[in-house]
Amino acid sequence: MPIKLMAASRRRPGLTRAEYFRYLEYYHGTIARQERLKIRSYVQNHVIDGAFGVLEDEYHQQVADRDAVVEIQFDTFPDMIATLEPATPSAASQDGKFFAEERNNIIVMAEEEEVPVPSPLPAFNPGLGIVTGVGALKVLLYVMRADDVYREDYYQYFREAHDHALQQAPYAREQLRRCVMNKRCRANDNDAAARKHFKMVDPPVYDMIVTHWYDTLEQAGAFRQYYEALRRFPKSFANWSKSFYLYTRQVPIIRDTPVS
Amino acid sequence: MTTAETNAQLAFRDWYASTKPKALRPDPSPEERQRPFAKYYFEDIPPPDPAHYAMMDKPCDPSKAIGPERMNDLLKPGDLDVEIGWCNLPNGAGFIANRMVYPEVTAEMVDWWFAWHPLEDLRYRIWYPPQHAGIMLSPEGRKRILDPKVPLQEKNWGVVHHVTEDCNCGMENIDIHFMSPKDFGFDMSRWKEPYVSTFAGGYGWAVAVEKTDASITAPALMCHIFRPHAKGLEHRTRFWMGYRFSQGKPELTLPPGVSVPVAAVQGLARHNVCEFTRWGRFLPRIYKELGHGMLC
Repeated sequence: MPIKLMAASRRRPGLTRAEYFRYLEYYHGTIARQERLKIRSYVQNHVIDGAFGVLEDEYHQQVADRDAVVEIQFDTFPDMIATLEPATPSAASQDGKFFAEERNNIIVMAEEEEVPVPSPLPAFNPGLGIVTGVGALKVLLYVMRADDVYREDYYQYFREAHDHALQQAPYAREQLRRCVMNKRCRANDNDAAARKHFKMVDPPVYDMIVTHWYDTLEQAGAFRQYYEALRRFPKSFANWSKSFYLYTRQVPIIRDTPVS
Repeated sequence: MTTAETNAQLAFRDWYASTKPKALRPDPSPEERQRPFAKYYFEDIPPPDPAHYAMMDKPCDPSKAIGPERMNDLLKPGDLDVEIGWCNLPNGAGFIANRMVYPEVTAEMVDWWFAWHPLEDLRYRIWYPPQHAGIMLSPEGRKRILDPKVPLQEKNWGVVHHVTEDCNCGMENIDIHFMSPKDFGFDMSRWKEPYVSTFAGGYGWAVAVEKTDASITAPALMCHIFRPHAKGLEHRTRFWMGYRFSQGKPELTLPPGVSVPVAAVQGLARHNVCEFTRWGRFLPRIYKELGHGMLC
C-alpha cells in the first residue's frame, strides 16, 4: 500500500478503556465508514498490553500509555491529503476529542516495506494452506532512532538486527507470520498545521514502526524473545528507553480481504 | 587506518548541528587549506554563458515539458521539446531542464566525481564555492564509497548525500538519495551508447537550514543523464520538484491545489546552470590531478 497514517492515542481523562474502545469502534469507526472520503482501508488496533522503555530505566522517558493505534491507508499522497484536509472539515476530524487526549497523539505518515518471514503459515491447523501472513495478535513496535545515527543506516541496521534476532530467537522464528517495516515518510515533516490543531507540543518523532503478526495472544512470548535479541544486536541504532511496543487486537473498520 | 576521508565522519546529531555554521560559508580551515585540492576553492568562478542563463529568465511552455513518467524519452535519439527551461507543470510540480556540452569531460570523470566529492566538505565546496556549503555521508555510505570492490559507476547506488547548499532560496539541507538507473525507472534495454553514457540521480528532500515549524520539507526527483556528443559529452539535467518515489514509481507529493513556488523552480534552474558551468571547466583538470582513486 503506497502510504498510510498511523495514529497512536491514549484515552481522554474520565474514560475507562472499555468506554474508549466502544467510542473508537462504534462511533468514530462508523463516522469513517459513513464519510469514507478517499480511504482505501482503515484498521483500528486496540491495545491489550505493552511495554515502554526498558528494565534499565529508573523512570519512564515518554508518555507510557497508549490505548489504540489507528491505521488509515490511501492509494496516493493526494488522496491522503484530500481526506485529512477536505474543503469542509470532516466529522472524523472533529470527533477525536471525544475519546482521545489529542495533544499526546503520535502521528506517523508511513510507507510499508514487507520483510519476508520464515514461517508465514502455522504448522498447527494450517487449513488449506492458501491463507498466509495473518494472525490474531498484532504487535506494533515503535523504534526511536538513536540521535547519532543517520536514517539510512538506522533502517539498514534494523534489518541486520532483525535477521540477527530471528536467528537468536527460535520461538519467534517459528511463530512470526508476517513482518512489515513502516518507514516514516519525510512529507510527515510538514505537519505543523495538524500539530497546531491538536495543540501537540514537540511530539516524539518515530522514523519507523515495525508490525508483527502472530497466531494468537498465546504467542506473545515469541515477540518478547525476539525483542530481547533485537536489543542485544551489537550495532547501536535505537534509543530503547524511548521505544515501546503494543500487543493489539485488530478491528477492521474498512478493509477488503487482502490477497495473501 | 584513519585518513582525511574517514576523519571527516560526524555522527548525525553533530553533523546536523554543524550545518548552521557551515551555511555561513566560513573560510576553509588551516587543515583544509593543506588538502591537495584546496587551490580550486580560491579560483575565479566562470560566469555562465549569458544567452544560456537568460533562457532561465522566464518559464517555458508547460505543454512542451515532460513529467517523470516520461523519463525514458531521454533515451530517444535527438532532442526533446525543452532541453533548457523551467516551468510549473499543470499539476503544480516544478519542472527543470538544462543541457550542457563539455568538450573535455568523459563519462568516467563523471562517475569519479560523483563518488569522490561527498567524502569531505571542501570537495563539495570547490565545485561551486558561492553556494555550496558542506556535505556529509553516513558511516555506511562512506564505507561503500571507499570500498574498492564497488565499481565507480555503482558507488552511489543507495547512498545518501547530505548536502548544504543555496539554490537561490536560502541555505537548505538536502538529503539526496542516489539510485541505480534501473531503480530510477529507466528502460535498461536501451541503457547503452549512443543513448546514454552514464547517469547520476535519485530523489531528495530539502528543508531550510534555519528550519522553523512553518518550514516545508520538499521532495524532488533529480536526473543527470549523459550521452556522447559531437563536441564531447552532453549532460541533460531534469528536476521534477514536488515528486517522490512511491513503491518504485514517481508520485506527486503536493497537496491538491498547491504548486511548487516559482522562485524555488527558477532558483534551482539558475543554480544548475551556474554550478555546471563551473563543473565542466574544472572537472577535467582535477580529474587529471586526483582522479586515480577516492583517497588523496
